[in-house]
Amino acid sequence: MSAPTAKGVLLTPLFKNNPIALQILGICSALAVTSSMSVSLVMSLAVIFVTALSNFFVSLIRHHIPSSIRIIVQMTIIASLVIVVDQILKAYAYEMSKQLSVFVGLIITNCIVMGRAEGFAMTNSPGLSFLDGVGNGIGYGFILMTVGFFRELFGSGSVFGFTVLETVQNGGWYVPNGLMLLPPSAFFIIGLIIWVLRAINPEQVEENEFKMKENTQPKEAV
Amino acid sequence: MGIRQTLDNLEPHFHKGGKYEKFYPLYEAVDTIFYTPPSVAKTTAHVRDGIDLKRIMITVWFCTFPAMIFGMWNAGWQANVAIADGFGAAGGWREAIVMTLAGGHDPGSLWGNLVLGATYFLPIYLVTFVIGGFWEVLFAIKRGHEVNEGFFVTSVLYALILPATIPLWQVALGITFGVVIGKEIFGGTGKNFLNPALTGRAFLYFAYPAQISGDAVWVPADGYTGATALSTAFQNGMSALTDQFSWWDAFLGFIPGSVGETSTLAILIGAAVLLWTKIASWRIMLGVFLGMVATSLLFNLIGSDTNVMFAMPWYWHLVIGGFAFGMVFMATDPVSASMTNPGRFIFGALIGVMTVLIRVVNPAFPEGIMLAILFANLFAPLIDHFFVQANIKRRQQRTSVPAEENA
Amino acid sequence: MAQSNNSIKKILTVAFALCIVCSVIVSTAAVGLRAKQELNQELDRKSNILDVAGLYEPGTDIEEAFKQVTARVVDLRNGDYSDKFDPQTYDSFQAAKDPAQSRTLSGEQDIAGLSRQENYSTIYLVGDADDPEQVILPVRGQGLWGLMRGYLAVRGDGNTIEGITFYSHGETPGLGGEVDNPRWKAQWDGKEIFADGESVQPDIALVKGGASDATEVDALSGASLTSKGVTNLLQFWLSPEGFGQYLARFRSGIERDAMQDTSTDTEGA
Repeated sequence: MSAPTAKGVLLTPLFKNNPIALQILGICSALAVTSSMSVSLVMSLAVIFVTALSNFFVSLIRHHIPSSIRIIVQMTIIASLVIVVDQILKAYAYEMSKQLSVFVGLIITNCIVMGRAEGFAMTNSPGLSFLDGVGNGIGYGFILMTVGFFRELFGSGSVFGFTVLETVQNGGWYVPNGLMLLPPSAFFIIGLIIWVLRAINPEQVEENEFKMKENTQPKEAV
Repeated sequence: MGIRQTLDNLEPHFHKGGKYEKFYPLYEAVDTIFYTPPSVAKTTAHVRDGIDLKRIMITVWFCTFPAMIFGMWNAGWQANVAIADGFGAAGGWREAIVMTLAGGHDPGSLWGNLVLGATYFLPIYLVTFVIGGFWEVLFAIKRGHEVNEGFFVTSVLYALILPATIPLWQVALGITFGVVIGKEIFGGTGKNFLNPALTGRAFLYFAYPAQISGDAVWVPADGYTGATALSTAFQNGMSALTDQFSWWDAFLGFIPGSVGETSTLAILIGAAVLLWTKIASWRIMLGVFLGMVATSLLFNLIGSDTNVMFAMPWYWHLVIGGFAFGMVFMATDPVSASMTNPGRFIFGALIGVMTVLIRVVNPAFPEGIMLAILFANLFAPLIDHFFVQANIKRRQQRTSVPAEENA
Repeated sequence: MAQSNNSIKKILTVAFALCIVCSVIVSTAAVGLRAKQELNQELDRKSNILDVAGLYEPGTDIEEAFKQVTARVVDLRNGDYSDKFDPQTYDSFQAAKDPAQSRTLSGEQDIAGLSRQENYSTIYLVGDADDPEQVILPVRGQGLWGLMRGYLAVRGDGNTIEGITFYSHGETPGLGGEVDNPRWKAQWDGKEIFADGESVQPDIALVKGGASDATEVDALSGASLTSKGVTNLLQFWLSPEGFGQYLARFRSGIERDAMQDTSTDTEGA
């Protein structure tokens, strides 16, 4: 692997090495908070904040972290940051924190944060680690916002709370898609995003584990 | 042999380098509807038989006819009875067709009922066929393989498990989801682990529950609400159900419900043909049936003061809701069911148990067969895996020679 | 470097230092922001109350608007006001869990699925506390998936409904979740709890296929079990088991004493 560059660590997590779409990390919160765009946005910002700062701090003290307790040290830093974010949201964005409920707290268990701290920040400089955290947070946020956009638009007929498609319940014409309001719909949307990303970047497609035998030979009619 | 000649004349255009090379899958599909294809299945993806996939699928398709024709008549009959009671007819182009062909809303007229039902069912089927077919052909062209005949069956099964009044745009969305997400994403017929028709219906069930469940959707008469037999029992208990319908009503199919699922008798006629031709697995059907009987007997035995569904006996579970239809046509789908013979019993029993479990214990969904089959579909590969491994082990012991994988 | 990092001394130092730093940060944030968080919770509760009374619109000064609201604690067993608790601090949810302050509901009484009911409840009076324009009652009960909590606003006659709101529920989004749809809630305005002045048991109910009189409200479409839950919880809380005796003081034509007989007082041990 070549030495990471600032631009590289910031941009590759967006499409080339997206934490959700390629590494399939952080799915849990992506299902839970994406029924509206504004909640997705706050969640994305919280994750960007936590990943960036935890990367930064872990990297800062990386030469002093004993390898035997490194995971605990990382967890402590991440957990502290998450609690701070949670407290701030409760104080300044109460409505939002009510909707996010436990999922802010659950950023602690978000594999993206932990994965970047262990996988990148432990071996790179604080500046680069910070950017890597921002990049991965944005990569996560990008998927969250996309999923949130489709779920809110088709599920409630609105975008960021502004009505775009007037729903039948409110006297309009649009019959909202109830599936989109349920968390599992995010699975389908993330799946479709992965499909699109892999169609654009075919190198993301994994090798077949085994080859299925052709049932009939595709040949032309005689 | 006019058709053969026409097809032969057209053929060169569809070959490599021809004008319509890209549309070869379409040509092939039309050609093999009329004539035996030159290639037949050689390996065991679907069946271990000399018969080709298209013949199987068409046989299944024919087997749905009793249920389909009875379903159309029943949808029309239910509506005409409601209209005779003073509810409005739906109006629009459907009314125009009914008036032209049948001349009125007489619930006593066999023909009148059939025509009215057909004006609801046939558009659903047509939309399913056109939209679903569009996706099939699109993927076939893109991937350069032939159009898979499985869609023939998927489309008719999907259309039969919808209520008559469902808006046509929802039909289109549902089949799109079923074909694309339920099947093509995983590589098309033979690689889908879910039943595409049920996947489409499950999508509609969660996305637009008001139009696919509830009391107002089953009978196509304006403003008429009538619960299905299953939700009557679910809400008001067995006595309310037996007051309204007799068991024979439910068995013969004179109850409201999705088009194809009402008549257990008509479905059993189809089942007889499927079993006689050995297209459907009797093991799966038996498994589903026994699983259902055992679980409902268990619930009967436990009993409950608060949950009226505990008291429903197995012979009622059999005739109401989509149980019979699911057991005969959906559970036996050769692609998404288990492939090993002992596995088929387990697979079927899982469906039967889950169906009753969802019907009885779940507070929100009166019907359970759809989710039960999808659930069992997920387990089919796992069930097969265990039996295949067990077989390999047994052979190893017998020959004490390491057997080949995939033997 | 790596060697010295893994010495016991180094491990303990790092762990200790990290814990100190992190705990300082976390506790600073928690303590520094607590006042503001509690204010938020308080404002949230008040805005729910104002909302059900129809006094809240985006941009309303909640504190200012809440000045016309008086909180009182009511003894549910006889319908009298009680000064035993401070309405600002009394927590009825907590009380419902405490055997000394609550009673067990028998299966027949417990149509709202609560299993325990507190003896005292906090209500809110809008306008003159002696002759209120509205009485706001906390109600709760089982929906399809879980407990639904909300407020019901009743006008000064003790019979006409001003509004209803559910601030916490877990119903299916788009179906039962429509209990918090403003359009559905709007139809509650002007509905009546009791069909006539002498009724003891409430008549208000959600009905399928269109409400036909003042005690009927359109059910939520496609959510019969949530609708049933709403009917049950109202039937419970407005009956003599709930606020029935208290409401009788506002209603004309019904004696409170007549009601007391019908209420079976089974105090918790």
